[in-house]
Amino acid sequence: MSKNIVEMHQITKAFPGVLALDSVDFNCMQGEVHALVGENGAGKSTLMKILAGAYRPDSGRIILRGNDIAFHSPREAQRHGISIIYQEFNLIPDLSVAENIFLGREPQKRMGFIDNTSLSEKAQSLLEDLGVAIDLGMRVSELGVAQQQMIEIAKALSLNADIIMMDEPSAVVSGKELESLFRIIRTLKANKKAIIYISHRIDEIFQIADRATVLKDGKLVGTVQTSDVDKPKVVSMMVGRSLSETFPQRKKLKQKQEVLALKNVSREGFLKDISFNVHKGEILGIAGLVGAGRSELARAIFGADPIDMGEIILKEKIIKKSSPKNSIVSGIGFVTENRAHDGLIHSLSLRKNLTLAILERVKKWFYIRDRYEKEISKQSVDQFKIITPSIEQEVRYLSGGNQQKVILAKWININLSLLILDEPTRGIDVGTKSEVYTLMRRLADQGTAIIMISSELPEIIGMSDRILVMHDGEIMGVVSPDKATEEGILMMATGQKRTINKAEG
Amino acid sequence: MQVAVSKRLQRSPQHIRSLFERFGIYIFLAILIVTASLVSPNFLKPQNLKDILNQSAALGMVAIGQTFVILIGGGGLDLSVASVMSTVAVIMAHNTEGQNSLFIPVMGVCLLFGIIVGFINGTLITKRKVQPFMATLGMMIIVQGIRFLYTKGMPKGEFPPIQRYLATGDIGSVPTSIISLAVMVIIALFVLRKTTFGRKVYAIGGNVNTARLCGYNIDFTIISVYMISGFMASIAGLYLAGWIGISDNWVGKGYELDSIAAVVMGGTTFEGGRGGVLGTIVGVLIVMMLYNIVLLLGMPVQMQFVVKGVVIILATSFYASFRRTQT
Repeated sequence: MSKNIVEMHQITKAFPGVLALDSVDFNCMQGEVHALVGENGAGKSTLMKILAGAYRPDSGRIILRGNDIAFHSPREAQRHGISIIYQEFNLIPDLSVAENIFLGREPQKRMGFIDNTSLSEKAQSLLEDLGVAIDLGMRVSELGVAQQQMIEIAKALSLNADIIMMDEPSAVVSGKELESLFRIIRTLKANKKAIIYISHRIDEIFQIADRATVLKDGKLVGTVQTSDVDKPKVVSMMVGRSLSETFPQRKKLKQKQEVLALKNVSREGFLKDISFNVHKGEILGIAGLVGAGRSELARAIFGADPIDMGEIILKEKIIKKSSPKNSIVSGIGFVTENRAHDGLIHSLSLRKNLTLAILERVKKWFYIRDRYEKEISKQSVDQFKIITPSIEQEVRYLSGGNQQKVILAKWININLSLLILDEPTRGIDVGTKSEVYTLMRRLADQGTAIIMISSELPEIIGMSDRILVMHDGEIMGVVSPDKATEEGILMMATGQKRTINKAEG
Repeated sequence: MQVAVSKRLQRSPQHIRSLFERFGIYIFLAILIVTASLVSPNFLKPQNLKDILNQSAALGMVAIGQTFVILIGGGGLDLSVASVMSTVAVIMAHNTEGQNSLFIPVMGVCLLFGIIVGFINGTLITKRKVQPFMATLGMMIIVQGIRFLYTKGMPKGEFPPIQRYLATGDIGSVPTSIISLAVMVIIALFVLRKTTFGRKVYAIGGNVNTARLCGYNIDFTIISVYMISGFMASIAGLYLAGWIGISDNWVGKGYELDSIAAVVMGGTTFEGGRGGVLGTIVGVLIVMMLYNIVLLLGMPVQMQFVVKGVVIILATSFYASFRRTQT
């Protein structure tokens, strides 16, 4: 057995409010394909970014070719032969293939002019080594995603990388393209490169990887030889048992009163023939992998994105012209997955954020009733236990968990009949998490219908009254939480199993 | 545990930064006043101070409109204001020929003209997705062309005495122009701080995605702020023309950049969502005082540009150094 080219010992990394990595060990050998697996948020990307020099670990050692090392920048890591290929490619669309491969390192003639002949030759030989035929003169923008990925790999090789990390390469390619990616990975392997392959798709790992390291919640679950284990074993490692998370008690719904129904809703490229309904007082969980169309579904219901076909029916009325404004008027609230992007207005105070969606109610004629606004804000702060020195504090100074509470409070202040929550507990600490759970259940008990999108399976199973599983823009099935297992949901979410029964309450 | 501690440590300097960011401009104004009174004994004379205020009126009015436009974010700014100012001035002179009786109706036409220019700016920006810089630059050139066609290069006529009085007269010992500006500042403060419209302006400037999800009519609000800017430019044009008193093709020349400089020095950021009218007025006073000091010291007028340029860069780098470490 060859020796480790890189070893990472006891790597720990914390971000405000989250421990992203907790004493993780990882190593990789020359000529090995090592898969790094785990659910979303398990810490895979953080670990790789540390190795690539993009983050610095809080503690732990990195040993490269037998030497202790600490990278201060991605460039430094690159010089040591470590390359990473992100899901988002680092290519310049308007430059040619050859120019992209050697960007910033173009062979030069005298006077600093670029030596185009030598540039093409070098690029050509790199691509030949990989066994890919791409016209060097083409602009990158004219190429497909799979070919762009090849160019990224060629770029890594041109840097003499001998450790190549690929962050979820199969998120962008599939089918035949994935096969040719695998072929290239095998070529690289034969050339003694170390490949670190990040993925949460079990099938691929057994196809391509020699070993797999499983992470969960920032902790190392274990490293296994893929030849020694089977798929269910890896799935159960990924899922694990969650840390004593307690979810509030469900109440039995007395009568089913439909709040929202979707009939054959489609949107080209995102949603395929979606039908389901939600009842008063119910929490409907939507599970699925990133890119399954869950957020797009939420945006469609809220009227933030258009739909091509189908009907959305709210309280027995077909919504004709859906827009965020109309949704708010009819009592739909929407907590998006990305707090920083569209959840809050960070330059405004807590008070002003809390009334963003209810200005119509706070105003008299055209001016804002200050006293009333302050009253509402103070109530929200008390009710949600938002920790802040004052309601005039700008929200950017609040912690992630408190910001999430502000967003929830903002929506609950409207006359809420349906609340859509997209990843409501992402990036917030355990304590606040359970507060959010309690709050959700209390809302549901008060009669609000809740749609909760989540990538955390324990959360989905623990909180939902019904679970809807999506894959590739389609509903794969509906499961009841007392019969659901994380393995079962994952099988549906990865498209390996489908229950035919349509979603009906 | 460690995380929580380090966060608390970071917190207090952030607040000091935020204080500096908010009040730095006032400190700067104070320093400028003290320096000015030390270098020139004439600076603090009542007549000189009154002149500064009088001259600040028109720039202040344009800058109020400009504040709305920059607050809305998305690269918002209005380069067409100076063109509008000159154009309403010649419209007024040509049509009233100095008669008081025609002042009100022609003023109506002038204000309408400014509002229409603003409407076109706003519509181009929201509906056609033209960058604010290019849209308002285009309108600036178009309005200029229209003005030359209209005056055939030879502006004529005179301004009505009412207009002259509003721009140069006094009530008691306070200039009417300053009273007018004060009224407009109060109205602008009310609109920005107390109305739902003002709240929406800050919200859209702060984060347009959040604002959209809160159901705000983004396009309507953006078009409105450009209309406000056009409207304020017309008023400012009339005041400035009344102050100068001669019908001229270039009334307000340079005010587009001066007003932007005043707004940004006053703490309103180009990213939008932060700042306000009071800072802008301080920015205007700073610009005007700089002009004044250069004159008092008997330096060549051209020196004004050098000094102003330096101060703009100093002020902006001052803000940048306090904002740098914030997320």
